[in-house]
Amino acid sequence: MDPLASDRKLYFEDVGIGVVLETPGITLTETHVALFGGLIGDRPADPQAVPELLPLCLSSGLGWRAPQPPLVVLAFMGFEWKFLRPARIGDTIRCVSRSLTKRLMKEGGVVIEERNILNQRDELVQGGKLTLLVAKRPAEGHSPAEGTAS
Amino acid sequence: MKPDSGLCFEDLQVGDEYRSPGRTVTEADIVIFAGLSGDYNVLHTDAEYMKASLYGERIAHGLLGLSVQHGLLARSMPDRAGERFVGLKWKFKGPIKIGDTLHARARIVAKKDTDEPGWGVVTMERQVLNQRGELVQEGETEHLVSRRLG
Repeated sequence: MDPLASDRKLYFEDVGIGVVLETPGITLTETHVALFGGLIGDRPADPQAVPELLPLCLSSGLGWRAPQPPLVVLAFMGFEWKFLRPARIGDTIRCVSRSLTKRLMKEGGVVIEERNILNQRDELVQGGKLTLLVAKRPAEGHSPAEGTAS
Repeated sequence: MKPDSGLCFEDLQVGDEYRSPGRTVTEADIVIFAGLSGDYNVLHTDAEYMKASLYGERIAHGLLGLSVQHGLLARSMPDRAGERFVGLKWKFKGPIKIGDTLHARARIVAKKDTDEPGWGVVTMERQVLNQRGELVQEGETEHLVSRRLG
């Protein structure tokens, strides 16, 4: 029986170095800012300002909407990030990312991903490098439970 | 937060330390963050799937932990004049589970001049600990702070 198309996932072996992936965009609204501010308990003084962490937080969801199967990430290990220009309510942001390196380990592999957040004027708003632990493709007939990395 | 008032670059000293109160991370926080960010990874949203995983249960998004830490410390530190977040380096050391109580600590570790007159850069080291004193996240943040005028 053929596997369902919806079962398709990307594993460490499938990560293409240097392949550029672009996500759809999302327009930043007062609602995003109010929800985020309420959740973390801190709001900017300027009502049109977007908290610096908000585009970063939205970028993970944008990645899920990009037109390729999801990468089986076992753990988000860490990242470096720069905040280059402020985002304003009404801006539309999208992510452009590519994998820079990958290194096989005993449990999965480590992938360094460069991720940039651009606005509707193609200006770089924020960007950096993320270190991800990605699952290896399982042997036929088995699938790894995400989160089982040592 | 008023950007035109608050401590200036000259008022901040290397070695200044801050500690936040605790905040218990709830299922609601994770569900709201998944909805806001669009990150519905099973790690955070599928309790049945996670029973078979290393963690045994859903865990919070790493970026939720980072954002909660930011709010906790923003409420625990005096406002800084004209402050802009310019960069960070961050590591996710351990999982955050529903019901864990986090608190955050920060210490100013460096101050330096920038090319822009009227501004200085302050670097802070930060740690996020749970109720067992375990380090769950840590990193370094960089902030532009206004110098005193005149």
